[in-house]
Amino acid sequence: MKHTINVGFIGNPNCGKTTLFNAYTGANLKVANWPGVTVEKKEGQTTYEGETFKLIDLPGIYSLSSYTMEETVSRQCILSDEVDVIVNVVDASCLERNLYLTLQLIELGKPVVLALNMMDIVEERGMEIDLHRLPEMLGIPAIPVSARKKTGLSILMHAVAHHKTNRRQSPLIHHHPGLQSSHVHNHHSEYAMVYEDDIEDRIDSIITVLNKKYPELPNKRWHAIKLLEKDPDITRRYPLETDAIADRSYEKDIINQKYNFIEEIISEILVNKAEKEASTDKIDHYLTSRWLGLPIFLVIMALVFFLTFTVGDWLKGYFEIGLEKFSSFVAGGLTAMHTDPMLSSLILDGIIAGVGGILTFLPNIFILFLALAVLEDSGYMARVAFVMDDIMSHLGLSGRAFLPLLLGFGCTVPALMASRTLEHSKDRFKTILVTPFMSCSARLPIYVLFSSMFFGRNAMLVCYFLYLLGIAAAIATAYILSKIDGSRAEHALLMELPEYKSPNAHTIAIYVWEKVKDYLSRAGTVIFIASVIMWVILNFGPAGYVTDISQSFGSLIGKFAAPLLNPAGLGYWQIVVALIAGIAAKEVVVSSCSVLFSIQNITSPSGMDSMVAALSSLGFGAANGLALMVFCLLYVPCTASIATMHRELGSAKKTFFIILYQLAAAWVMSVIVYHIALIF
Amino acid sequence: MTLKQGKNNQTYQVLSIDIEQKLERRLEALGLTQGTCITILNNDKKGALTAKFRGTRFALGRRIADHIEVKEVPCS
Repeated sequence: MKHTINVGFIGNPNCGKTTLFNAYTGANLKVANWPGVTVEKKEGQTTYEGETFKLIDLPGIYSLSSYTMEETVSRQCILSDEVDVIVNVVDASCLERNLYLTLQLIELGKPVVLALNMMDIVEERGMEIDLHRLPEMLGIPAIPVSARKKTGLSILMHAVAHHKTNRRQSPLIHHHPGLQSSHVHNHHSEYAMVYEDDIEDRIDSIITVLNKKYPELPNKRWHAIKLLEKDPDITRRYPLETDAIADRSYEKDIINQKYNFIEEIISEILVNKAEKEASTDKIDHYLTSRWLGLPIFLVIMALVFFLTFTVGDWLKGYFEIGLEKFSSFVAGGLTAMHTDPMLSSLILDGIIAGVGGILTFLPNIFILFLALAVLEDSGYMARVAFVMDDIMSHLGLSGRAFLPLLLGFGCTVPALMASRTLEHSKDRFKTILVTPFMSCSARLPIYVLFSSMFFGRNAMLVCYFLYLLGIAAAIATAYILSKIDGSRAEHALLMELPEYKSPNAHTIAIYVWEKVKDYLSRAGTVIFIASVIMWVILNFGPAGYVTDISQSFGSLIGKFAAPLLNPAGLGYWQIVVALIAGIAAKEVVVSSCSVLFSIQNITSPSGMDSMVAALSSLGFGAANGLALMVFCLLYVPCTASIATMHRELGSAKKTFFIILYQLAAAWVMSVIVYHIALIF
Repeated sequence: MTLKQGKNNQTYQVLSIDIEQKLERRLEALGLTQGTCITILNNDKKGALTAKFRGTRFALGRRIADHIEVKEVPCS
């Protein structure tokens, strides 16, 4: 019978673990050059020489203690039967940091294979790693791989298959210089990590006690070490009278000795530790500087939006021409086939107008994500957390919380999930509350359409204003909240700043493709369905199929709710219907408008002209347009984000509160903006 | 002196870390223990600073930097 080998991928944050995992499974998981991307356990499969490997991608962690949620999850998963072989992915260009986890993994007693990732960077920097000496010292195979270039992948799986049973081929070879052990047992041929005699004596004594009390326990050495560290989890599960042996927690000693051993390893295996990293320091000198850090960040973000709008709009023009051609082609075809007018209307006014309108925004979305991907992959995003830490502290949030907020510019759903890396539940709630105020890419079509309809050449400025307004709303909310709950600034930022690297085309391609695919599939599902539903409620009324839209169900619903939005200048039943539909996904506001006003190519200049004409005949002008955009910015993001919020908070009450708050904020802000805009 | 009082591009040795246990454990897991050498990279701001220890750069919040006691010694 064929046996599946379960392989757990584990490593420090930002070591290329997810990229390697993707190289095997093609799962196209999102990769970013800042810590904490893998917040969920992911699984995939690969085969090599007829053997099936089930791969598990675990969150990036620095150690195997049990002080954070990710560490606990990873440790439990590795210790369980879910994992047969551990693949420890390490960033070879930063071995000193990565080997600490390696030593802990080896101590677990399960087979470990070391995957030396980023060997290309090691070479680039002129460093060399003694690949013969390293496995000798650690007692585990070390396989150089490049996740980006997809090299060494087969060898790694070969090593995994080969080492799935935990047999040691050869005794470990150590030469601890100047370390004369007087310990009764010489462990150096058995274990990679051997502590000083005092610790080893205590470990041995605990093992003796463990042998009596828990004879069935596997890997007693690891449990003994954990008991000596007074690990809360293990002490609870295996209570033992060890106070005589472990009179205090020896954790610090154990950590120090591990790091000492790492220094020893590094000095033996790393040749030519060239300080090429000086370039990172030079860049950081500017990007994290006290005075320049923030302005540089703002300029970079402005540049991102500038590219999104200018280059994006230029490409969008071609998409519009294409859509127009397609639409008239279909219209011609439908007439030629003598299709029922009701069906033609569904296809042309419902589906093509709705879905097609959304597809023309693809270039803007593409550029936005391309820019964000470059920023992430280069390593800049982690610096942003540092640059923003002071400001965030005033809001009672950690600088770390800025990352979910920044992700919110892309899509609210992953941004909400990223809040999971925050440690305090209060921080998480606050972050989840304010993240939807960051303008996600789905809101972009609304801004682009309405700002170019009503503000012409100033459209881009209006868009930038909306982005800033969203940030301001988030800041204000966080500030008020921190005043209410009296939470003081934590000032406890602790985050790795990875070295800068030139962005990798492959990584970026995966990232952007993932987003584009998401957008397309949303256009094909949610927006498609929403467009059809819109068409139905606009073309059917209590009297059946109606040609006069004002007799339709949609009109009835809209007219019922319209007075509520009157103060914001949005008391038009069409707008109300579009806004309600927009809860499915924000782009639907745009697609609904094209269905509502039956404009087929709403984003083209002629489409916009007829839209403006249709709106102004209702008395809907620039001020109303601005209020609409503000409302769209702030009100409930979309069904997907509500579901994510609910999952992350685990509380219907809190989720309901957030929805209510967002609706209230949207109403208040759009009323204010509308009345200010009326003055001008 | 505390780490926060340190100067840029100066290397210090950690004497003690006096912060709540959870944070201390996290720092230890990252290799910042008693005796570790830490080089300050950027301590210009009032708040967080960046520093390098055990071969990696980190951003450390002000409260963390305030609670790490260091001394100026030549570190390898």
